[in-house]
Amino acid sequence: MDSAAHSPQDSPQVVTGTGGTGGMGVFDALVIGGGIAGLQTALDLADQGYSCAVVEKDASIGGAMIRLSKVFPTLDCASCITTPKMAAAAHHEKITLLTCCDVDRLERVNADEDGGSLVATLTQRPRHVDIEACIGCRKCEYACPVLTPDAEQGGFSGRKAIRIPFSNAIPQKAVLDVEHCMLCGKCAEVCPTQAIRYDQKPEQLRLEARAAVLATGFRLSPVADKRQYGLGAIPNVIDSLQMERLLAPHGPYGRVLRPSDGMIPDSIAYVQCAGSRDASMGVGYCSRVCCMYAIKQAMLLSGSLPLADITIYYMDIRAFGKNYEQFYQNAKAMGIEFVKAKVASLDPTEGGAVTVHYEDQTGAGVATREHDLVVLSMGMLPGWQPGQVCPVAIAADGFIDTVAPKTLPSLTAMPGVFVAGAAAGPKDIVDTITEAGGAAMQAAKYLAARAANAGLARTPQARTEKASIQEASHG
Amino acid sequence: MTQAKTERTPGKDAKKDAMKALRAERAQWVGPATAKAAEHKKAQKAIRACLAQASATPPEIAAATGLAPDTTLWLLASMKKFGEVVEADKTGAYYRYALAAQAPESGEG
Ligand SMILES: Cc1cc2nc3c(=O)[nH]c(=O)nc-3n(C[C@H](O)[C@H](O)[C@H](O)COP(=O)(O)OP(=O)(O)OC[C@H]3O[C@@H](n4cnc5c(N)ncnc54)[C@H](O)[C@@H]3O)c2cc1C
Ligand code: SF4
Ligand code: SF4
Repeated sequence: MDSAAHSPQDSPQVVTGTGGTGGMGVFDALVIGGGIAGLQTALDLADQGYSCAVVEKDASIGGAMIRLSKVFPTLDCASCITTPKMAAAAHHEKITLLTCCDVDRLERVNADEDGGSLVATLTQRPRHVDIEACIGCRKCEYACPVLTPDAEQGGFSGRKAIRIPFSNAIPQKAVLDVEHCMLCGKCAEVCPTQAIRYDQKPEQLRLEARAAVLATGFRLSPVADKRQYGLGAIPNVIDSLQMERLLAPHGPYGRVLRPSDGMIPDSIAYVQCAGSRDASMGVGYCSRVCCMYAIKQAMLLSGSLPLADITIYYMDIRAFGKNYEQFYQNAKAMGIEFVKAKVASLDPTEGGAVTVHYEDQTGAGVATREHDLVVLSMGMLPGWQPGQVCPVAIAADGFIDTVAPKTLPSLTAMPGVFVAGAAAGPKDIVDTITEAGGAAMQAAKYLAARAANAGLARTPQARTEKASIQEASHG
Repeated sequence: MTQAKTERTPGKDAKKDAMKALRAERAQWVGPATAKAAEHKKAQKAIRACLAQASATPPEIAAATGLAPDTTLWLLASMKKFGEVVEADKTGAYYRYALAAQAPESGEG
């Protein structure tokens, strides 16, 4: 495709940041969030010749998907699917990746001048490492004497104050956090490229574009919000993302063990709807993926622990996608026990087991069972609250509002700003990727209309073109 | 010779002074991080001493070192990540852990 025809701002994609003194850049599109939705959107736009900046708050792109073990319904390795997309985005000449960035403001300026531009003001938090100099050798990480819980491994093992975020992180560059650093100087001593910058400061970046796609995903509802389930303080009660790490090939223990003492669990239970369909937590909606990920994890567990009893306490199973019902039936055939019940509360038991109090909905009444390990299927909350940062409309559930959900699901109330993936509401990877493709297409259509309009500016057709921009932006 | 030792090298001194100033500026984090590192260093030393005798399960290591079982497993997982310990055979419901032969030192931790 002739990129020049669509992309008049082809060349000026300059951004400095990460250790320079601030920076700015002009792109065709901004993609906020570097999870699978953001990456797919950026790749689809870049393959059409549009320049994109992907703005990610974490030190690595990849979002939740790169942290998963395997994915339903195919049981493909999550990393095997995500890593090539991450690498393709990192190597694409039309894509600029910006990590460790907070969006301070995203707004449209000069809207009356042919649609104006979207301007994003960002703060890039310091890595305390010169990203150009760092070769990702991990010598600093090995030398650092400080251990702190590694959130990338569910907190089940330690990481150093300076480290490469995780084994398949992109970029493979070290990051040092000052809150855990004792400033001993060891990392600087061993770094072969003198990349350590203890005094690096946050930087302001200003990006300009004509379109933006919000792909800010979700965060898991916190275990600490649910009093009946122990507020996160009962040993061996973990959340579903922690179980993803226990099941992952590069997980903290290299296998599934009970975190309180390393015992191989004999009996594992899932509590469904632990953070969804629950007005007491302010989450009235169904998070859509929890039934399927619990079934997936249960199947993986019965593969890695063939002798273990696996129980899923559920209200109803929502196996909504293609081949999902079959996946559920396969799990039942494998011997996974499905108990139709609402779990009322959990209690710690001496010896590390967890007591589950539940109400059996098939008539057996109130009952109690003990399990070695309990997994809470927590729900999905919006990954970003734009608040005062961006005047995009938010729906009643807190996710980004889509103004034409049936006909153009990626359209937001803000002209030229689109949404993809879990940022618009809970969804699985299949739906996320489909929606990302749709958002890229809508953004491309909008950009093409803008380019045509710029070419025709002040001609008799200008009015018609302006109308077509509005149509692309608002359906 | 003595003179050479005390001679001021401007580049090095400037770096030292800058680190000193940063340490003062970040005292709220440097203090707790130093204390945590010392605590973990001591605990890892105890684990190494225990495993130098023979491989052991996390509860056995916890009993021998006086560490809590969950802390023991957390430290073992961290030491495993940096190649200091390896998983050995299984005893009942637990895996045993052993020191890795000629494992690279994970910092001073
Ligand atoms: C335990 C669990 C298991 C799952 N298993 C499966 C499965 O097997 N199969 C399946 O189909 N689905 C599964 N899912 C769902 C899957 O994770 C999501 O569908 C998918 O991750 C959505 O991708 P996304 O890019 O929209 O969001 P995310 O993966 O959340 O990515 C969003 C990205 O945006 C970044 N971000 C957020 N806010 C900002 C901001 N303000 N500025 C810059 N960056 C920002 C985040 O850091 C993140 O990198 C599972 C979910 C969970 C919780
Ligand atoms: S030692 Fe230096 S080059 Fe190697 S990962 Fe650390 S900062 Fe990067
Ligand atoms: S200076 Fe900080 S990050 Fe570097 S080795 Fe020391 S404690 Fe670790």
